Amino acid sequence: MSTKGIKLWDENAVPRHQIQWCPGCGDFAVLAGLKQALTELEIMPHELMMCGGIGCSGQIRNYLNGNAFHGTHGGALAYALGVKMTNPELKVITLAGDGDTLAIGVENFVHVCRRDPDMVLLIMNNGVYGLTKGQSSPTGGLGQTFETFSEEKPPMVDPLLLALASEATFVAQSFSGDVKHGTKVLVEAFQHKGFSLVNDFSPCVTYNKFNTYEWFREHVAYVPDDHDVTSVEAAQALVRDFARRGKVPLGVIYKNPRRHEPHNRLPIWTEQLENVDRNVVLASYR
Amino acid sequence: MSVRVNHLKLLVGGVQLRDGVTTVTEVLGKILTRAGLSAIAQEKGYASTIYGAHQFDPMMITEEPAISFGDAAYDILVALEYDSNPDAPEQPNRDTILRHGGGVKPGGMLLYDSSTGVVPTDELEARGVQIFPIPARKIAQGEMKREVVKNTIMLGALLRILRFDDDLAYFGKLMEERFARRGRDLVDLNLTAAQRGRAAVDEICAAKGYKSGVRLEARPAKKAVYISGNECLGFGGIVGGVRFYAGYPITPASSILEFMERYLPKYGGRALQGQNERESIRAAIGASIAGARTMIASSGPGISLKIEEIGVIGVTEQPVIIVDSQRAGPSTGMPTRPEQGDLNLLLGAGHGDIPRIILAPATTEECFTVMLDACEFHDKYQCPIFFMTDLNLSEGKKTVLESVFDQKPKLDRSTLLKEEDIHGKEYRRYEITDSGISPRTLPGTPGAISKTTGTEHDESGFVTIHPVKRTQMMEKRMRKVETYLREDWKKPFQVGDTRGNPVIVGWGNTRPVLEEAREMLVQRGVKAALVHFSYIYPFEKAYVSKLFEDASAVIVVEQNYSGQFADLLQRELLISTRRIVKYNGVPMHPTEVADAVLEAMKREGTIVRIGSTQPIKVEVLRNEHEGD
Repeated sequence: MSTKGIKLWDENAVPRHQIQWCPGCGDFAVLAGLKQALTELEIMPHELMMCGGIGCSGQIRNYLNGNAFHGTHGGALAYALGVKMTNPELKVITLAGDGDTLAIGVENFVHVCRRDPDMVLLIMNNGVYGLTKGQSSPTGGLGQTFETFSEEKPPMVDPLLLALASEATFVAQSFSGDVKHGTKVLVEAFQHKGFSLVNDFSPCVTYNKFNTYEWFREHVAYVPDDHDVTSVEAAQALVRDFARRGKVPLGVIYKNPRRHEPHNRLPIWTEQLENVDRNVVLASYR
Repeated sequence: MSVRVNHLKLLVGGVQLRDGVTTVTEVLGKILTRAGLSAIAQEKGYASTIYGAHQFDPMMITEEPAISFGDAAYDILVALEYDSNPDAPEQPNRDTILRHGGGVKPGGMLLYDSSTGVVPTDELEARGVQIFPIPARKIAQGEMKREVVKNTIMLGALLRILRFDDDLAYFGKLMEERFARRGRDLVDLNLTAAQRGRAAVDEICAAKGYKSGVRLEARPAKKAVYISGNECLGFGGIVGGVRFYAGYPITPASSILEFMERYLPKYGGRALQGQNERESIRAAIGASIAGARTMIASSGPGISLKIEEIGVIGVTEQPVIIVDSQRAGPSTGMPTRPEQGDLNLLLGAGHGDIPRIILAPATTEECFTVMLDACEFHDKYQCPIFFMTDLNLSEGKKTVLESVFDQKPKLDRSTLLKEEDIHGKEYRRYEITDSGISPRTLPGTPGAISKTTGTEHDESGFVTIHPVKRTQMMEKRMRKVETYLREDWKKPFQVGDTRGNPVIVGWGNTRPVLEEAREMLVQRGVKAALVHFSYIYPFEKAYVSKLFEDASAVIVVEQNYSGQFADLLQRELLISTRRIVKYNGVPMHPTEVADAVLEAMKREGTIVRIGSTQPIKVEVLRNEHEGD
């Protein structure tokens, strides 16, 4: 990979020394992997649309080149949906945290899985709300056993199982401690024709004292080569089997593209909009 | 007895879903429009249930377009129910008559389904009302063997009463268009049923010696359509370049979603039924980012859910047209009843300050023409463009001349920069400009990167909390308001001289009723003026102030409890207003408004509440002893 290609992604971006992530944050590795994947895919920054969530993770949109939008908490996927429906030629990626995606934004997560637009969601999952100083998120508690639960402290949500139940067509998991593997997964996600979920574990070094790099290194295991990625039953079984064994699977867990109606870019320019045939409508009302 | 030609009002009522009230008025409206006449049916009454409640649809029919739908007084009442209304089981086949019989004018006519028995109508007959009991359901089930044609029998009877379409040429043609594909039999069945209805009326006329006091005559056909406000505004959007629409089902905005789903794909666009109100507006923002002209629509409860995104639109400067088809609030309110209760919501929607433009079309025609402006403002001002209608205007139908739809849209997309526009220049998405408008590039444009965010940002779109940059950016955004007032705001509609006279002030869909009320007042010798806003906010204070300066009274008429527009005028112009408000879910009618205006003229600070049982209130605006 040429360094020139990678450097392209440093333009139109906040300089590295001004990045406001804690030293050691898992998001740095995600940023590196993302630039690497985009370079490998030969995507140009102007073709890229990033929708950032609210929180530390969503800041990533400004840390590399490419168009970016940042709106409300939980909304990123729905903005991305509108972008992609309007201009299918764009490469669209949503970059958001686990709280943004699975708590306040779970309505969009579930339905975007069903809608299956050709775009990527990269969850930067650390189990906590970092920016607001460490409250537990819906993915908090990974790998921990609890004697009791309560309304205040329910069991965690597994985004992979939720995505599978919501008819997602590409479900994968990565760990920012293995950038090389994460990049490979991300490349495959971009290449998938449909909605691609990549749940990346990117540890919060400040607020998550349980799911540390060390913890992940002990618990991650790669999806075996003989796993049938086209079977939703196999995918669900794999996630449950790994969990039973106290392991966190890394790799593509499910990939089964769906047939879609073709859609062109919507008419945008004046010459595409003028001189419409008004009779198409008026005829019905005469 | 003289016969009034081409000027009457009728009401068709029955049980919702079961009796097909709007099928009858829809067919009638279409036929009359084709026959060169003009129909207005904008006082729909129905309930937020699917089946069983009372439903009615009044219709004003005239030769030249009527000013408004007129008062709740009817020349003809048509009661379609053959049996009890589940809503009022103690009233077999007479619910419509009991509810609306009092509104039938002396010498008017009542047509009802007498299949389950004859209704006592002595009171009506005493007022000279001619009674036509037609056992339509019995005929449909018996002779015709098809219950479904009972409406057609009633419609045929109604056409006979109107002494219109004797040879059923208009009716027959419409049936052919509707049913030809499903077979000639269905067309003939309907024609036979209509003729059977005519014959039944003939018999009654012969037996009772009835002669009708009203009749309709076809005129040379004008190029016109019979169409609703929602359909007009959706069409306005399409002609104005909207190619992405999103909406979540909600009364009375659902028919915009239906319209867009049906027609947008025919123009290369897409209509998305959101999974909730938020997904709709968010997807629309996304579509706007990618370059489409975008529209969403909802009603009060849905707008409340979208408010967070309205701030996003304001600060990211990614425009969306937001249609608010109002219904009576608060909360779920009365979903099938009209109100103008959302103004405060839209004026204040979102935390912090953003520029916003609020438009409220006054007529079905303006739903189209003002929407063309909204489409241009979308691009030019890159802020929330609110477009307020209400249930009557949205769902009600009217004969509209096709020439209205000939207006050419500007389709000016010059605020979208192309590759050649930025070549060799430094492009900054939020460039500080005198007009406040910063041209933008679309993602996908080579050589340009747009970083956009709802967080405060600098000219390049990067997050900032720098006091100077914040101030500059806030002022840049808000300068768009001044640019709008200078270049695009349209003055209110005005009739009559405001100097020395009482001025009736209104906004949005009440204009036709207020125009008619003003004419009534003039006939009564009161030289009232009318000032009516369609481009309601922001407005040019100096201009409006001057209008009211020498008025003997400023009387703001609106359909909400508090007088939200009156509050706005008081706040912006520092003037006092008198108010006429109505909030019982029934549309305003001209005579009651004219009466209320006379009442309001008596004393400063008067608040007339139409339909209220409370005494008229006079608000003491200042302490008369102040300064003693």
